[in-house]
Amino acid sequence: MNRDKIRFLSYRVLILGLGTGLLLLVLLLILLFFAVSAERTLFVPFFIGTALTILLIWGAVIWIIKPYYRMENNFRLFLEGYTTSNVSGNDEQITPSGELMAERLQTIMNSAELLNMNKRQAQYLALQNQINPHFLYNTLESIRSEALLSGLVSVADMTEALAGFFRYTISKVENLVSVEEELQNCETYFKIQQYRFGERLQLVVECEEEDKEEIYRCRIPKLTMQPILENSIIHGTECKLGVGHLKIVLEKIGKRLMIRISDDGVGMDTKTLADMNEKLQKSAKAFSAQESETKGGIALINVNNRIHLLFGEEYGLHVYSMPDVGTDVEIILPAISSDREIPNKEALG
Amino acid sequence: MKKEMLRMERITYREQGIVRLDNFSMTILSGEIFGLVPVNHYGLETLLKLLKQNLPLHYGYVYYREKEVNSWKKPINTVNRISVIQNKSCLAEDLTVADNIFVLRGGFKKWLIRPSLLKKQLSPFLSEIGIEIDADAYVEALTAFQRFVVELLKAVIAGNQLIVLKDISTFISESELFKLHEIIRYYARRGISFLYIASHFEEARQICDRTALMVNGQITKCFSAEDTPPETFPLQSVEDYDKWVRTQFDRAEEEKGRHAIFEIKNLFYRNISNLNIRVSPGECLIVQDLDDSLFGDLIKLLEGEKPKGGEILIEGETYSRKKSRKIGIIQELPLETMIFPHMSYMDNLCFSMDHRLRKIWVSRGIRKSIMQEYEKLLGEEVFEKKISDLTRKEKYDLIYTRILLQKPGVVFCVQPFKGAEVDIRSHIWELLERFQNKGIAVVILAVNLADSLALADRLVRVKHGKVQEVYDKKEFIKLPVNTPWLYLYQEKYALEFQNEKE
Repeated sequence: MNRDKIRFLSYRVLILGLGTGLLLLVLLLILLFFAVSAERTLFVPFFIGTALTILLIWGAVIWIIKPYYRMENNFRLFLEGYTTSNVSGNDEQITPSGELMAERLQTIMNSAELLNMNKRQAQYLALQNQINPHFLYNTLESIRSEALLSGLVSVADMTEALAGFFRYTISKVENLVSVEEELQNCETYFKIQQYRFGERLQLVVECEEEDKEEIYRCRIPKLTMQPILENSIIHGTECKLGVGHLKIVLEKIGKRLMIRISDDGVGMDTKTLADMNEKLQKSAKAFSAQESETKGGIALINVNNRIHLLFGEEYGLHVYSMPDVGTDVEIILPAISSDREIPNKEALG
Repeated sequence: MKKEMLRMERITYREQGIVRLDNFSMTILSGEIFGLVPVNHYGLETLLKLLKQNLPLHYGYVYYREKEVNSWKKPINTVNRISVIQNKSCLAEDLTVADNIFVLRGGFKKWLIRPSLLKKQLSPFLSEIGIEIDADAYVEALTAFQRFVVELLKAVIAGNQLIVLKDISTFISESELFKLHEIIRYYARRGISFLYIASHFEEARQICDRTALMVNGQITKCFSAEDTPPETFPLQSVEDYDKWVRTQFDRAEEEKGRHAIFEIKNLFYRNISNLNIRVSPGECLIVQDLDDSLFGDLIKLLEGEKPKGGEILIEGETYSRKKSRKIGIIQELPLETMIFPHMSYMDNLCFSMDHRLRKIWVSRGIRKSIMQEYEKLLGEEVFEKKISDLTRKEKYDLIYTRILLQKPGVVFCVQPFKGAEVDIRSHIWELLERFQNKGIAVVILAVNLADSLALADRLVRVKHGKVQEVYDKKEFIKLPVNTPWLYLYQEKYALEFQNEKE
């Protein structure tokens, strides 16, 4: 029998069934042999029979029951929404067509369309679809010129920042950007928000000097940091009285890149935090659920899903928070400096 | 570039269908001292179990020294080279220090053991941390601090790169803790990482590079050493606590100059040498053991052993075994030592009050009236519950109410806050206050002052078996230690203290 076929539980059941039949036949023959020669005892057939039965049971446990439970566990976790990657990742499958079906499902789950679907930052995509980018930039440039001519420097600066922000979010359609570019976009976004909040909002970026160059070169999915920063401002510091402090910490730890975006805003209680992290953990559920865009935390889930699709489930987001103390969103990514290092290149489309 | 020692990524772990760790994420860097403050102890034991052994996960990934050692995809059930040091020692008591460190090590393969060689091998390790321990000494003869150092050395020599320290301040004294912090920092500089589990954020902050809060089996927030701790710390209990301590200040001032209900005069016994302590009815006295040599001996004396010299007086009379019911003892970790699971709730509650009501075991009426009297305090349902079904809070209620029913003159509590989560700790304050309100003196035997100081009217610090220093409540601000909420005393008495100084 083809070795590949042994991977399927249906074949294994067949082999073990044939083995059992064969064993019974052998035992019957031995018994017959011993029955005709009256001088011999039944000890030898009993011993052989017991040994072969134990061997069969052991084979059934290792070969069928354990893989079955492993597979069952994977399916259950998939249904609970924990994973999307392991439906076809099992070493064993029930039948060949079952394996083909799982592979097909995996292709659908990993497709570029799914990534694009989860890349939706609705407002940006809407702008991309409905507004001609050049028209937008030209208009913003005109406003800026008018403002400068009228001596309104702050309006000119604000318009410049807004144009830069749109240029980044709308025009650059590639999936991966450098940390430096993403950070620049965050600073631009923060500058725009500062016109609204003034001194009430402060941003600090921390990065160890010796690793700075390497970290800034790392490739990350586009719009990874800005939506989280936006979340921190809108859900964290906006509702807080007094000055809101925002911090972006960048660290390279071994082969990983850690980005932490913190605020000292209103924070969230243990229950809300647990729910938020559960949504991030069960990314498969988020793929299938068509949740409202306005619902809080959707930005985090989108970023998390994109990271899962591009780099695998061991990377992603985790939230830490305490009421009246603040919230930290930790993003874990592989520290890669080239787009060729992405594990799931197909997802880039 | 920083290196990662341990990473637990979104771990969900279930035991018999119950979620013990929920989406638990934690990263410890190489050479980092990472603090963990469990606000409630839910999931803590599971976390320790998972650190030592790679058990099948419901979901998540574990990386040790940047290698995946456990994942939900492929459970491997291997053991990690991580040491856990806690109150319960893992050393072999009847072996020497050198044997414990070298011979019981995993990779030790020699057939002939040469003690002199082991001693020689151990000596550089001891000298680099500036500690003197005899390599030939038996572990049972070591102090708690020495045992701790031996366990630490054992972990270091075995090549374990991550060492978990659990509640160490509850079993070693303050000065020893200071020394220990020095040793921990030394090894951290050499790249060994530590997970420092402490009941108090303030304690963890003294040494840790980062400190995380753990609630209901998940980490809720992580603070670096540079972060200013939030005012609302620890969680919401501070405000209530502040109010409560302030009422304690006023109470103490009302009740001065009372007679002694319990007195120890010039006592000599094993490690105790000329000890003098007195306590008045309703007073709360903390006896802080600075070298961890007093408690065992004192409890033995209270259980009826005769002292070598001096005397113990209760209500002015010499204490003997016959008068043992006049003293209540609440042992360390009482949930494990003072509850009898095979007995009913009522039996557990009443078994130390037969000296007051002799017919208690035959008269249902008495027991029913006790039930009616105490159901307001304990709740109506608890009397019908099995002991195993009681919550931790209900178990504490049971133990403390049993002592209340015993009606002793004085209650000795051995480290009452040890192993208790934040909300339980504030409940223990209430239970101890209940004793004081009934005129029962409370003597807290503590190694660590955290929590206990809140209740205290006086503090006696004992070293080498005799009293070293005595502090009145107003003098607490002079304490040379960083104790949680010391600021309340500073706030209250700083002005008086300043005037006195001038």
